[in-house]
Amino acid sequence: MRSQEQANRELIRLRVLLVVLASMLTALLAVMWMVQVVNASTYTRSLDKQSIRRIRLPGIRGSIYDRNGVCLAGNNPNYCVALYIEELRVPGKWDNTIDKIETIINDMSSEFGIEREVSRKDIATHIRRRLPLPFLAWKNISETFISQIKESDTPLQGIDIYVEPVRIYPEGNLASHIIGYVGRNKPAQNTKTPYHYYLPEMEGKAGIEKQFNSLLTGTAGGKLIRVDASGFKHDDKFEKDSKPGTDIKLTIDSRIQRLAEQSLHGVRGACVIVDPRNGDILALATSPSFDLSKFTPSIPTKYWRELNNDKRLPLFNRAISGAYAPGSIFKPIVAIAALESKAIKPDTEYDCPGYFKLGNSTFHCWKRSGHGTIDVRKALEQSCNVFFFNTGQECGYERIYYMAAAVGLGYKTGIPLPGEVSGLLPNNAWKQQKYHDSWRSGDTCNLSIGQGALAVTPIQMALYVAAIANGGTLYHPRLILQQGAKASTQHRWTPGKVANQLNWSMLTLETVRGGMFDVVNAPTGSGKRLRIPGLMMAGKTGTAEVGPRHNRRKNTWMIMFAPYTNPRYAISMVVEDGISGGITVAPRLRHLMLGIQQLKGKEKTG
Amino acid sequence: MNINIKKDILRPIFQMDWIMNVAITLLLITGIMFVYSSCYISDDIPVRLLYKKQIGWALIGTLGYFFFSIIDYRTLRKFSWWLYAACLVLLVAVIFIGKEIYGAKRWLMLFGVGIQPSELAKLSILILLARKLSIPGENFISWKPVLLVLALVGLPIMLIMQQPDLGTSLVLLPTTFMMMFVANVPWKTIGTLALIGITCISIVLGAVFIPEKLGADKVVQAKVLHFVGLKPYHKKRIDVFFNANQDPLGAGWNKRQSEIAVGSGGLWGKGYLKGTQNILGFLPRSVAPNDFIFSVIAEETGFMGSTIIILLYTTILGCGIRTAFVATDKFGRLLSIGVVAMLFTHIFINIAMTIGFMPITGLPLPLLSYGGSFMVVMMLTLGIVQSVYIRSHHSPIIYKQGRLWETAPGS
Repeated sequence: MRSQEQANRELIRLRVLLVVLASMLTALLAVMWMVQVVNASTYTRSLDKQSIRRIRLPGIRGSIYDRNGVCLAGNNPNYCVALYIEELRVPGKWDNTIDKIETIINDMSSEFGIEREVSRKDIATHIRRRLPLPFLAWKNISETFISQIKESDTPLQGIDIYVEPVRIYPEGNLASHIIGYVGRNKPAQNTKTPYHYYLPEMEGKAGIEKQFNSLLTGTAGGKLIRVDASGFKHDDKFEKDSKPGTDIKLTIDSRIQRLAEQSLHGVRGACVIVDPRNGDILALATSPSFDLSKFTPSIPTKYWRELNNDKRLPLFNRAISGAYAPGSIFKPIVAIAALESKAIKPDTEYDCPGYFKLGNSTFHCWKRSGHGTIDVRKALEQSCNVFFFNTGQECGYERIYYMAAAVGLGYKTGIPLPGEVSGLLPNNAWKQQKYHDSWRSGDTCNLSIGQGALAVTPIQMALYVAAIANGGTLYHPRLILQQGAKASTQHRWTPGKVANQLNWSMLTLETVRGGMFDVVNAPTGSGKRLRIPGLMMAGKTGTAEVGPRHNRRKNTWMIMFAPYTNPRYAISMVVEDGISGGITVAPRLRHLMLGIQQLKGKEKTG
Repeated sequence: MNINIKKDILRPIFQMDWIMNVAITLLLITGIMFVYSSCYISDDIPVRLLYKKQIGWALIGTLGYFFFSIIDYRTLRKFSWWLYAACLVLLVAVIFIGKEIYGAKRWLMLFGVGIQPSELAKLSILILLARKLSIPGENFISWKPVLLVLALVGLPIMLIMQQPDLGTSLVLLPTTFMMMFVANVPWKTIGTLALIGITCISIVLGAVFIPEKLGADKVVQAKVLHFVGLKPYHKKRIDVFFNANQDPLGAGWNKRQSEIAVGSGGLWGKGYLKGTQNILGFLPRSVAPNDFIFSVIAEETGFMGSTIIILLYTTILGCGIRTAFVATDKFGRLLSIGVVAMLFTHIFINIAMTIGFMPITGLPLPLLSYGGSFMVVMMLTLGIVQSVYIRSHHSPIIYKQGRLWETAPGS
């Protein structure tokens, strides 16, 4: 049983509790009085009126340099007038807010004498789609305008100058296809970042900008700005610095790149220059190209549409994405395959009457009168088809196939650029699949002179001629010299990454190189228009016929390396719809080599 | 079972503490008004209509409130173990099949409605504690029954910590302590428990701050925290409480913005629907209608408004304490004091948090904050207080039904 005394003790305890709780509530009220009444002036005068606006600072995108430290893609500040719509919000319908923003823009327009850039519809669209982002009323404004705004007496509520880095391309239209371009990202929908206002980052859409986007993109930082209840900005306080992205140094030599682009002026085609000693890509030119300087601060719609509708496909990177029939520039591979497999010897001779009979069909040499009886070196110089028909039949398509595969045909070279294609190296399995027919001797004839279904890219050709030049080492193409390096630092020569060691015999190399030397230097050589006195070069021309019989078009090629001893440049060039490799391409390459010679001369004297 | 409408339903309703009813009604209406105020600017239609859901929860809560007032609280004693067991099952279930929102698994989805078992646990623990502490003849001089009571509270607290929900666990401790105090647990025991509590808090704070002050590296700091049983985000919150400026973009944001909101309210406030902190979104919209509803109210109605809110709460707490005074038995008295303690802890911690006097623990404000389970459970506990009141000395009619453990003097 419970005693009365115990119950009384409970009541005493209750009273104690009552006093404790009551005093705590009183204390709470007292603190509330302190905060809301006594200290309210502190809040209203200095703190309350100043709320904090959080702004996300984009990390500045890394720059792209050429091998000598010339800037190909950098950043410039772009000043915008930003309206922070949430701070300008008028209660009620959005229309009220839009009205207010319209008034502000009109006022500023008349006060500072600048024309309106945005319409009412733009404001409405922004509110609907990108409310948390600042609304950019003027993009790319001049510095005088900025100082005018800053000196203006009227407090500009909810308005601020927004500095935005924009991509600039100091060299203009140079190496456009390698660099690529950037575009604005869509803002992330479900973002955890606590920043109220931010603009999405630029993102690479093509070329190096796309391939190395994650490297080039910086880390965003944050900034705190104190803002009035009326939105007036008080002082800035940096909280978290943004980190710039990593710079990239390319193997491209912008001077050589420019020469290569100039040599392609006015035609559709591509030119790739490789250092045969390590696989460095010195130039990777494509024509027609596009002008990157027009892409700043953003790509104009009109120009963009023009580029996309152009039938010459200026956005198409022919150097790595264009697959062409190689024609006669494939013949050195056939010669190597035959010589290495001992199917022919350097002194093996075939008679060329101007045609080659295989069963019922006849394959013609380009020279209808025939070349007479010639050996492999002469056949390369003259680009005699009949000799290679014979050679192809003698050695069999499989040996040619494997040799072509060994120098990388039919595979992507792995150059770090988006959009590379592998081309096509046909074989029996391919023909079975495509035509439900087996490989025939006629196919071998076509393959022997680089025709038929065979398709190669200019970059593959450059690396293959580099392998002939350096004595049988196929390199991986190297486009990135350094990451995060300072632009000014001089780069030391480094060995390249070997893709395949071909182990060709000296005899084979001497023979094929000799033939290629004659192409340029013999009085009857098909590439004699390349000849430059005092510079020993070797090459091979090619003219590939494409398209249906009634509408034959010619893709004209030339591959070459120079100097003949200790080669420094291995070059492939293709020109669409030319006359022939010797007539169309060789003079252009001559011009290119003269330019390079001049550069080297300058380097020595300077 | 025969129910006489006049005798069993109308008469108890007539006998209710109407002062408390009025205070509760005013708070509910205020809550709905300010849930609307904190959300009407949102672009998200469901968020903008949150106040309608709050009206629904308030109505359900009111029904539960009347139901619990009408039934005799002494019947709860019979169900206390069952309720407790059911809650433990739900708390275990939520660990496995709970729905995760904002990194905490607190919700069980039932027929499309999310319920929080931790809220139900508050109710069941309250009832079981009142029963355990009111066993006749038990004077708690030995430690055994005290430890049993602590174990009964500790088990669900451990489960709730798994979610993790520090706030709810934190509410249960002072509630238990106050109930033990009124239940005549000897001063010696009470003092020892208080000492242990203070020591625990010191250890936690020490674990957070001392290794850093001594210059220990990050790994050692993390080890010490883990040893004490704290998660890194606990440390962050405690850090922020003592130094909000060290992370104004992240964890310190809510605290700082809430302080500015309350402080800038001034004496009379900025006016209903005119709180700039809220409209401009400085007070994050995810927390404004629930944990930080008081900031919205204080900003828009100023010191006068906050005083009225605190006075309304004081009225309810006063009514609860009066009920504890006039209760006819120890069970009823402890029930009332348990409800008072729980309400008080919520109110005090929440309001102190909005002005930066308490770390941010994620505790809602009773009757005002948005939240279904919480609203219903709070209304049920207040219903229990009414039930005790109706059957008290104060009341001219004392129901003789049910098992009475003691006879009230004068009856």
